[in-house]
Amino acid sequence: MTSTISENSITPFSPARMRRTVLEMAYAGSTVHIACAFSIIELLTVLYRHYLRYPGNDPRAEGRDYLVLSKGHGVMAQYACMHELGWLEDSHVQSYFKDGSDLKGLSDSRVPGLEVTSGSLGHGFSVGVGIALGLKRKGTDQKVYAIVGDGELNEGPIWEGALVTAHHSLNNLMLIVDKNGFQAMGSTDDVLALGDLQAKFSSFGFETLEVDGHDETAIDAAIRQLWATGPNKPKALIAKTVKGKGVSFMESINLWHYTRLNPQSFAEALGELGFTGESI
Amino acid sequence: MREAFSNALVRLALADSRVLLLTGDHGYSLFDEFRSSCPEQYINAGIAEQNMVGMAAGLARVGFRPFVYGLAAFIPIRTVEQIKLDIAHDELPVVLLGDGAGFVYSHLGTSHQSTEDIACTRAIPHLQVLSPADRFEMTAAMDYAYATNGPIYLRMGKADLGDVHAGPINSLQPGRLLKVRDGRSDRPGLIATGSMVRVAVDIAKSLDLMVWSTPMLKPLDVANVRAAAQATNGLFTLEEHSVLGGLGAAVTEITSEHQPTRVLRIGVPDRFSEHCGTHAYLLREHGLDIDTVRERVWAYCQLLASNPIA
Repeated sequence: MTSTISENSITPFSPARMRRTVLEMAYAGSTVHIACAFSIIELLTVLYRHYLRYPGNDPRAEGRDYLVLSKGHGVMAQYACMHELGWLEDSHVQSYFKDGSDLKGLSDSRVPGLEVTSGSLGHGFSVGVGIALGLKRKGTDQKVYAIVGDGELNEGPIWEGALVTAHHSLNNLMLIVDKNGFQAMGSTDDVLALGDLQAKFSSFGFETLEVDGHDETAIDAAIRQLWATGPNKPKALIAKTVKGKGVSFMESINLWHYTRLNPQSFAEALGELGFTGESI
Repeated sequence: MREAFSNALVRLALADSRVLLLTGDHGYSLFDEFRSSCPEQYINAGIAEQNMVGMAAGLARVGFRPFVYGLAAFIPIRTVEQIKLDIAHDELPVVLLGDGAGFVYSHLGTSHQSTEDIACTRAIPHLQVLSPADRFEMTAAMDYAYATNGPIYLRMGKADLGDVHAGPINSLQPGRLLKVRDGRSDRPGLIATGSMVRVAVDIAKSLDLMVWSTPMLKPLDVANVRAAAQATNGLFTLEEHSVLGGLGAAVTEITSEHQPTRVLRIGVPDRFSEHCGTHAYLLREHGLDIDTVRERVWAYCQLLASNPIA
């Protein structure tokens, strides 16, 4: 049985806890996209723990920062954060994908806490660009973090948005690439090679850093450094990640883009995360 | 009509600083007045329509009122998915302005012509579709679009055909037909939209037919269409758009269920333009010139007079 963060003393947004929430949802709903969620867990841990501001713990607070999950396939990781925040109940986790439930398999902005309707790739980033442009026009200090998948970088509007972001000096926007090296049908190198992403975004006018996307300390330092440098530039953080990170038999096995848990793999995965013996 | 459009846009922007005009690098002289009156509210988003529409959604999310301008071939057609997912799904107040709809760009070929935009937009939930016929309808349509505070597609077609109304229209009511001309009740009536209202009026004069304009294609008021069908002996629909999915479809969706009526749908056949020429030439190529339409209308009048049920 899961419990909300307020009911215990565990550090909020602990990666192991969040992976457990993802596994519980995926098992309850017999869903796919577990590996897509696992690659961004530490990125979300750092963002929710240290950067994203939600005045009054209100997911729709006017003065909030915006986390735009353009790669909507990783939405279970964001649900796990919303569960940590108390925005989602245990019952949301346990009833995932039940008939008539609200939480879908891809990001739907009608759910408070999700900012965009994504999953059709190459949409969320452009919406994030518009949010950043609007916030800048209003003169607020709010920030926009847009997480895109490396596979998603195949989509043309991403590069349209990158031009616009730099042209308007949207220094309140940080593009975070979940560079896990895989897309639906194979490795990004095999499907459509992306080349040197840091060089690409630098040439577009972004202040750019590459980081180990599972090292919380390094992520924190990189985000801090990006905000502190290149005062008029948008930011791009290239996060080198492992698809399926945290469970050995999922790591870099692209089959886990599509594979559903069974009782055995569910128990094994929980065990690897240190939750042996627990059950939902 | 284009002046009415520009005037309305400038007026709305001056009155509300949240109004922003986004253009995909189109509308050079059309926006002279806007650019000089409200330069801070003008954003040329580049030749990047998909991003522009997504960006408009983001701007709307933080309180702005974007008007997104492009040629109808691009706004909405190139960006249908962005309109569906980024704007309409969340009922964001974005007005999409598709200019040059139909065969306005007659010399440029299929890439710049748009005869499927009504069909594509009409099927998107929450999205209302406007199609003004003259400067008076344009002014009312712009005011309606702003007041609606939700997703709107405003179609702008051939704009230099003159007025069809005698003077300003107070306000558009959701889905209402505007009666342009009275005529014989024992003959079919004409329901037309956009550039074709002018043609409908010209034809109706010689045959003494009733004419309605539909500045709003979605929603379309059931009672109004039903009343038009009851007031006449059959209907024609007339549009510079495909016969599939546009005004003709919208009208027959209502009549088939609520007021079974013979309806002849006149529009662009299910084909692309083959040749190049003036707007008048292309209308002829597609059988939408006034002479061809008049012949079809008269033949159908005779058919219904002799055989009303068949």
